[in-house]
Amino acid sequence: MAELRQNPLVEIEGLKVHFPIHAGVFRRHIGDVKAVDDVSLQIYEGETLGLVGESGCGKSTVGRAVIRLYELTDGHIKIDGRDISHAGADELRPMRPAMQMIFQDPQASLNPRMTVSAIIGEPLDEHQSLSPSERIARIYELMDQVGLNRSFANRYPHEFSGGQRQRIGIARALALNPKFIVCDEPIAALDVSIQAQVVNLLEELQKKFGLTYLFISHDLSMIRHIADRVAVMYLGKIVELAPRDDLYADPAHPYTQALLSAVPEPDPEHEAKRQHIILEGDVPSPSNPPQGCNFCTRCPKAMDICHEIEPSFHAVGDGRYAACHLLEDR
Amino acid sequence: MFNYTIRRSLLAVPTLLLISLIIFLLLDLAPSDPTANLPLTIPPEVREKIRQSLGLGDPIYIRYILWCKQFFINEPLNILEHIFGWQIGGDRLRVLSWQTRSPVVDLIVQRLPQTLWVVGLSYVLGIVIAVPIGVISAYRQYSWFDQIGTFISMVGFSVPTFFTGVLLIVIFSVWLGWFPSIYDTTHQVTDWSSFLVQVKQMIMPVSVLALFNAAQISRYMRASMLDNLNQDYVRTARAKGVRERIVVLVHVLRNSLIPVTTVIALGVPQVFGGAIITEQVFKVNGLGQLLIIAIQGGDVPVVQTLTFIFALLIVLFNLIADVLYGVLDPRIRYD
Amino acid sequence: MKIRTLTLSAVAAMAIAPSAHAERGSSGHVNIIYWQAPSTLNPYLSGGTKELESSSLVLEPLARYNEKGAMVPWLAESVPTVENGGVSADLTTITWKLKPGLKWSDDTPVTSADVVFSWKYCTHPEGGCAQNEKYNDVKSVEALDDLTVKVTFGLSKPFPYGPFVGAQSPILQAKQFADCLGAKAPECTEANFGPIGTGPFTVKEFRPNDVISFEANQNYRDPAKPAFATATLKGGGEATAAARSVLETGEFDYAWNMQLAPDVIKAMEAKGKGKVVAAFGTLVERIMINFTNPAPGLGAERATAKHPHPILSDITVRKALSMAIDRKLLVEIGYGSAGRPTCNVLPAPEIYKSSANNACLVQDVEGAKKLLEETGWKAGADGVRAKDGMRLSLLYQTSTNAVRQDFQALIKQWWKEIGVEIELRNIDASVFFGSDPGSPDTFQKFFADVEMYANNFDGTDPEAYMSNWSCKQAPRPETQWQGNNMPRYCSKEYDGLVAEMATTGDLNERARLAKAMNDKLMQDYAILPLVDRGRVSAHSNTLGGVVLNTWDSELWNVADWFRKK
Repeated sequence: MAELRQNPLVEIEGLKVHFPIHAGVFRRHIGDVKAVDDVSLQIYEGETLGLVGESGCGKSTVGRAVIRLYELTDGHIKIDGRDISHAGADELRPMRPAMQMIFQDPQASLNPRMTVSAIIGEPLDEHQSLSPSERIARIYELMDQVGLNRSFANRYPHEFSGGQRQRIGIARALALNPKFIVCDEPIAALDVSIQAQVVNLLEELQKKFGLTYLFISHDLSMIRHIADRVAVMYLGKIVELAPRDDLYADPAHPYTQALLSAVPEPDPEHEAKRQHIILEGDVPSPSNPPQGCNFCTRCPKAMDICHEIEPSFHAVGDGRYAACHLLEDR
Repeated sequence: MFNYTIRRSLLAVPTLLLISLIIFLLLDLAPSDPTANLPLTIPPEVREKIRQSLGLGDPIYIRYILWCKQFFINEPLNILEHIFGWQIGGDRLRVLSWQTRSPVVDLIVQRLPQTLWVVGLSYVLGIVIAVPIGVISAYRQYSWFDQIGTFISMVGFSVPTFFTGVLLIVIFSVWLGWFPSIYDTTHQVTDWSSFLVQVKQMIMPVSVLALFNAAQISRYMRASMLDNLNQDYVRTARAKGVRERIVVLVHVLRNSLIPVTTVIALGVPQVFGGAIITEQVFKVNGLGQLLIIAIQGGDVPVVQTLTFIFALLIVLFNLIADVLYGVLDPRIRYD
Repeated sequence: MKIRTLTLSAVAAMAIAPSAHAERGSSGHVNIIYWQAPSTLNPYLSGGTKELESSSLVLEPLARYNEKGAMVPWLAESVPTVENGGVSADLTTITWKLKPGLKWSDDTPVTSADVVFSWKYCTHPEGGCAQNEKYNDVKSVEALDDLTVKVTFGLSKPFPYGPFVGAQSPILQAKQFADCLGAKAPECTEANFGPIGTGPFTVKEFRPNDVISFEANQNYRDPAKPAFATATLKGGGEATAAARSVLETGEFDYAWNMQLAPDVIKAMEAKGKGKVVAAFGTLVERIMINFTNPAPGLGAERATAKHPHPILSDITVRKALSMAIDRKLLVEIGYGSAGRPTCNVLPAPEIYKSSANNACLVQDVEGAKKLLEETGWKAGADGVRAKDGMRLSLLYQTSTNAVRQDFQALIKQWWKEIGVEIELRNIDASVFFGSDPGSPDTFQKFFADVEMYANNFDGTDPEAYMSNWSCKQAPRPETQWQGNNMPRYCSKEYDGLVAEMATTGDLNERARLAKAMNDKLMQDYAILPLVDRGRVSAHSNTLGGVVLNTWDSELWNVADWFRKK
C-alpha cells in the first residue's frame, strides 16, 4: 500500500465553508460559523485518505463540501480534472455518479418510506435508462456485492439492523459505479462487531472497483486500519497531513500528539507507563476563532508567536505537512 | 392493523358512554331554561306546564336513560328503516328538539349539506392552498415568500372570522354589490346559471374560512418540511444526483405529509361541527348555527345530541388518524 | 306531442284565467328577514315572537288588533260586544260568527268545529301550550252551528277577547291536528312545520331555525290578494346584518325588529335603499325596586315580605332615585327614534295613558339631593350618604345586553352624584329570565336591590298586566319563586283597584281604574319607568303596503303588501 500513486483524483484548494449567523428582529447577518476555513488537500486515485478530528472540527463539512452538498464560500474543488467548485445543480447532476457518499446514520440517511429496491434503484432511474428487468438485475447484483439477501428487496429500511442498513447505503452509493466515495463516519453508529464487517466490505469493494475513499472518522484506530494517508483537522483547518505509518509513529503537530496519546494501548503494562497529554479547556467557537494559531488556546507547547501569527501549512519532509510554528524551522 | 382497529373501536364504546353521561350532567347543571327566551307576557304557570311537557319533571337518571334509548336504539332503527325501507314497527319516540319539537336527527340531516358545502369546501380549499405555501416557505426559509406567508398566516390565524367576514361583506356586498351578504340555503343547483349563483354566495364564507384553515395547516406543513429538509436521507437523495424537484416533491414532501395528514384528519370533526361564527355572519345556518341557537334557547336535546355526535366524530377521526399514520408510515405497525 | 302541449297550455290558461282579471301573484317574490330564526310554525308550541309572527302569514285568529290597537274582525264577521249582543249582559259568554265561505288552503271549509278544536288543542293538560293563558277561565267552547261558536267563561269576564284574538291564539285546522293532542303534539312534526291555514300564504318548505318558503294561498278569501306569488322568510344572524340586507344591499325587502344603536340605523338609512319605520306599543324599559331585603344572611327568608328592605322601604330614597335619572338622554343614547321617555308603566293605548306623573321627564339632581338631605340621609366622607349607620349602597342588576349596560353606567353615574353607591351586575339573559327555581340569578328571585328589564302585555287590555302588582303575585318560596310582582309591592288600596277592575265592563270606567293603578305605582315609586320602547323595522323602498303594528303580528297585513313599480 505504500506505493505512491501520484495521480490526484480530488484536488481541494483553499476550501472555505462559512455558515452565516442571523439574529435580531430583522435577522441581520452578524457573523459566520467558519466550519471549514482554508483547507487544501489532494486525494490520489485508489487511496484512502483518513480525515480525523474531534466532533465539530469541520471534517463532515469538508466531506459534504467536496461533493458539493454545500455551497462553497471560497476555494476550488476539482474531481477527476473537472472543476466543480461553482457548478450549478444541473451541471453537477451528470457528475454525481462519479462521486458518492456514505452517511454516518444509516437510519436517517435512508428515506423511511422507500423500499430497499427503490432506494438502490433511484439513482439508476435518474442517471441510466435501464429496462425494468435490467434494473432489477442491477439491484440484485448490488445487493449481492454488499452481502444483502435478495429477498429483502421489498422491505423498508426500519426492518433492518444497523449493519444491514449501512450495507443498503453502500449498495446505493455503488449503484452508479462511482470513482470517489466520501465515507462520513460510516461505522460510528454501528456495534463494534459490525464495524469490522462494514470496514472489511469497504476495503473489499475498494480493491474490486479501484475506489478512492475520503474516510472521515474520529476513531483513530479505525483510521489506522483503513487509511493510506491521514489528515488531522482542528477547528476548520488541517493541522497535519502525513502517510499513515509516519503519523502514528511520529506525530509532528502537538494536537496530533495529544490525540494519539489519548488512544489506549492494548498492553496494560505499556499503557501504565505511557504519558498522556491532557488538553485543557474547550474547543473555541468556530464563529470566533482565536487570533494566531487556532490551537494556541489549548496547545501545551504554545509560544508567543502562536497567539499572533497563523502558522502556514507547509511541508515538513517526506510527503508530510503540518501547520505549526514549532515545525517551521525543522 | 385490523385487530388494532377493532380493539380501539371496542374501547371507544365505554368512553363514548361516559362522554354522553358527562355532557348530560353538565347540561343539567348549567342554569338554562328552555322557556327563558319566551316573551315575559307568558305567565309562569304556563311556563311550568311547558317544562313539564318537555319531560323536565322527571328525575335526571330517567331522562338520561330515555335519551340513551332514543339515541342509541330508536334513531339507528329509524335510519335503517329509512335506508332499506324496512318496517321494523313499534312506537319509537325519537330524540325531539325542545325548540322545534321535531326530531333532532332530522334537523342535523337538514343542516348537513350547507355545512359540508361551505365548511367542508373551505377545509379542502384551505388544504390545497396551505400545502404549497408550506412547502415553498420551508424550502425558501426566511425568504420574502416565507416572510409574507408567515405574515398572512398570522393574520389568518389571529384575526377573528367575524371581523374578516364582516369586512368582506362591507366591501363585496355593500360597496361593490358583487356577492350576496345572506346565504340562501334553499337555493337548488339545476343548471349553469344557478350553479353560478351558488358559487357567488359561497365565495365569501368559503374564503374566510379557507384563509383561517390554510393559515393553520400551512404552519404545520412548513414545520414538518423543515424537519425533513435537514434529514440525512435528503442529502442522500441529493448525493444520488436526484433532480431537486424530485428531492423536494418525492422525498421531502411525502415524508412531511405524514404528520400533516393526521393533523388534517383530526380537523375533520370541526368541519362537521360547522363554523359557528362564520355561519352566523353569512347566515349559512348550518350545524354550527343549529348548535348556537340550541344553546341560547336551552334546547338540551339538540345540544346533547350534537355535542355527542361531535364527540363520536372526534373519537372516530382519532382512530382514522392513527390508522392513516400506520398506512402512510411503514415504520409504524399496530399488532 | 303537439296535442299534449296544446292540452297543457289550455289547462294552464284555465288555471291562470281567474287571476287574469285579479292581481294575485302579480308582484312576484318578497324577501323578509328575521334575525331570530323561527323554530316552528305552530304558535301554540312556542310562545316566541318570531314563531308567532312567521306563522301569522298562514294562521289567522277570529279578530286581531290593527296598528292603532283597535280590534278588527278577521275570520269573524264582526267583533262581538254587549251592544251588538255578541257578549252576554253578565259578561260570561261571547258568541263569534265566522265569515261565510271561508276555506282552508287545502280547499276544505272552515267551520266552528275548527275553532272548538283550537281551544281543546291548547288547553290539553299535557300539551304544554305556550298560549294557555289566552284561554284562562274558559269553561267551554261550543259550536252552535257550522259558523257560530260560543265561549263560556267560568266567571264574569269584562274583557272576553282572550281566546281566538290576536296572533297568539289563531285557529288550527281540526283535521290536520286531530291526532296531535296533548303529549302527542310535538310528534306531529309535519303539521307543526306546515300548518294548513286560512292566511294569504301557505308553507312550501320549512327549515327550522333557518328559512321558510311560502306560496300564495290559492284559496285565500280575497281573490286579488296576496300580491306576492311567493315569499321567503329567512332567519338567523344578528340585527345589524338584517338591517344591512334591507337598507344597504337591498337583498331583502323587510327586516324585523332592529335593536340597533340610533346612529348605526341612521347611517344605513342614508344609503337610500329603504326606510325605517317605528311604532310604539306597551313595552317599557323599567327599574324595579325591591321592597324586601335581599341580604344573603337571611337564608330562606331572603327577599321575602318578612323582611322589608332597610333602605328602599323609605319612599324618599325611591323618589330621589327616580328624580336623578335623565330619561331623555337615555332615549337618545339607547334607542333614538325607537324610544321615548316615559313616566308611566302603562304608556298605551291612548285611553289608558296617564299624564299625572310627567314631572319625571325632567332630571332634577339638585332636588334629589335636597330631598335626601332633608330626610336625614347625610353625605359621608366618601360622598356616600348614610342614615342611622345604614349606607346608601345598592346592587343594580340586569340582563347582559349592550344598551342595558350603557344604561347601567349612566344611571350609576347619576346616582353617585346624589350620593348613592351602586354595584353593577349583569346576568346572561337565558339565566336572568329563566325560571329555574334553583338559580339565584333570576329576575324573579331578585336577589338585588334594583333590577332593570323591559316588559309589555299582549293585545290592548291592561287588566292582567296591571294585576301583576297585587300582593299575591309576589314571587316567594311558597310559589317556587313564580309570580310577576317583582318589587313585592303590596298595597291594600292597589289590590282593591285590581279587584274592582275584574268586575267592571265599561271601557271608560276600566280606563279610569287602569290609570289609577298606574298612578299609584308611580307615586309610590315601586317601579321607575325609563323608556317607552317602540318597535323599529325596515322595508325597502319598493315594498308597499307596510303598516307597522305593535299590537299584533308585524306581518298582520302581509296580504296587502305589494311591489311598487
